[in-house]
Amino acid sequence: MKKKKILDFELNLIPFINLLSTCICFLLVTAVWVHIGSLSVKQAVGGQPASETEKKATAWIFIEKDGAVVFDVRDSRTLEAKMRKSTVPAKEGKMDLETVTKLTQDLKQVDPTLRTALIQPKAETSYEDIIDLMDTVKRAGLGDLGVVPL
Amino acid sequence: MLTRSVLSQTALTSELGSQSILNPKDDKSKRSLIAPLLLTALIDAFSILVIFLLINFSSTGEILFISKGVQLPNASSTDVLERNTVVKYESGKFYIDDKELTDQNGLIQELLVVRKQWAETNSGEEFPGIVTIQADKGTKYESLNSIVLAMAHAGFGEIRFAVIPK
Repeated sequence: MKKKKILDFELNLIPFINLLSTCICFLLVTAVWVHIGSLSVKQAVGGQPASETEKKATAWIFIEKDGAVVFDVRDSRTLEAKMRKSTVPAKEGKMDLETVTKLTQDLKQVDPTLRTALIQPKAETSYEDIIDLMDTVKRAGLGDLGVVPL
Repeated sequence: MLTRSVLSQTALTSELGSQSILNPKDDKSKRSLIAPLLLTALIDAFSILVIFLLINFSSTGEILFISKGVQLPNASSTDVLERNTVVKYESGKFYIDDKELTDQNGLIQELLVVRKQWAETNSGEEFPGIVTIQADKGTKYESLNSIVLAMAHAGFGEIRFAVIPK
């Protein structure tokens, strides 16, 4: 009588465990627990003379001491004069970022070439407020940001 | 009803149940005292750990070292942080790559040194002039302004503000 062949076999799990242990050790040592990103901004003051600089629509955004945000769009061909200057008053002592978003989107809709925003904070403006404003403006469509020194 | 269930039958003839010295739940007369280790569960746990750590893995590594008590601002439209010259502002002092500087003139001098070193190692290439600024979210612009001005003086045109992605 022919002996029945056993098809079951044992998988050696030790090499798997060794491999996984090594992977875990390596990944734990090299793990970055705090993820940090960056917000890219250009210098608003450059070495190039103003006469050589290409004229393009630019939104100058001033942060006032009380949290009001003043928009002044320069060198735009399509924006009407009344739309070029506008102020977003502060809301409960802070910047009204919702209105800033809406205003930026309106400006962008009228003049699609508007892509640059130069932000001019006051000496007392906090770093957090500057970043919040830059982030809001960038999300609203003005991708080229610049910061103006005092 | 309960004794006929699959679970109870499995428990009666299970590997662990049969290893019990006091009350062996097995019909085998001969029993081994060596308990078989269940490696499958261990491998499952290890695999989950490896997947979790791989998701969190960052190929750039730790670029910025944030001191205790310093909170970076939050932003949603962020880019990946690259390895550049880091200017840090902390408790009234400026640091360039952990070298302490006291005033704006020191900053300009140090940034010029960085630029010179870059030109020596990358001759013929255009200078990118990128600086990463790291500061607490409560810092006034008055203090950051010194960094921005020093950068302008030293020919660094691009700023990367270090932020925590929302």
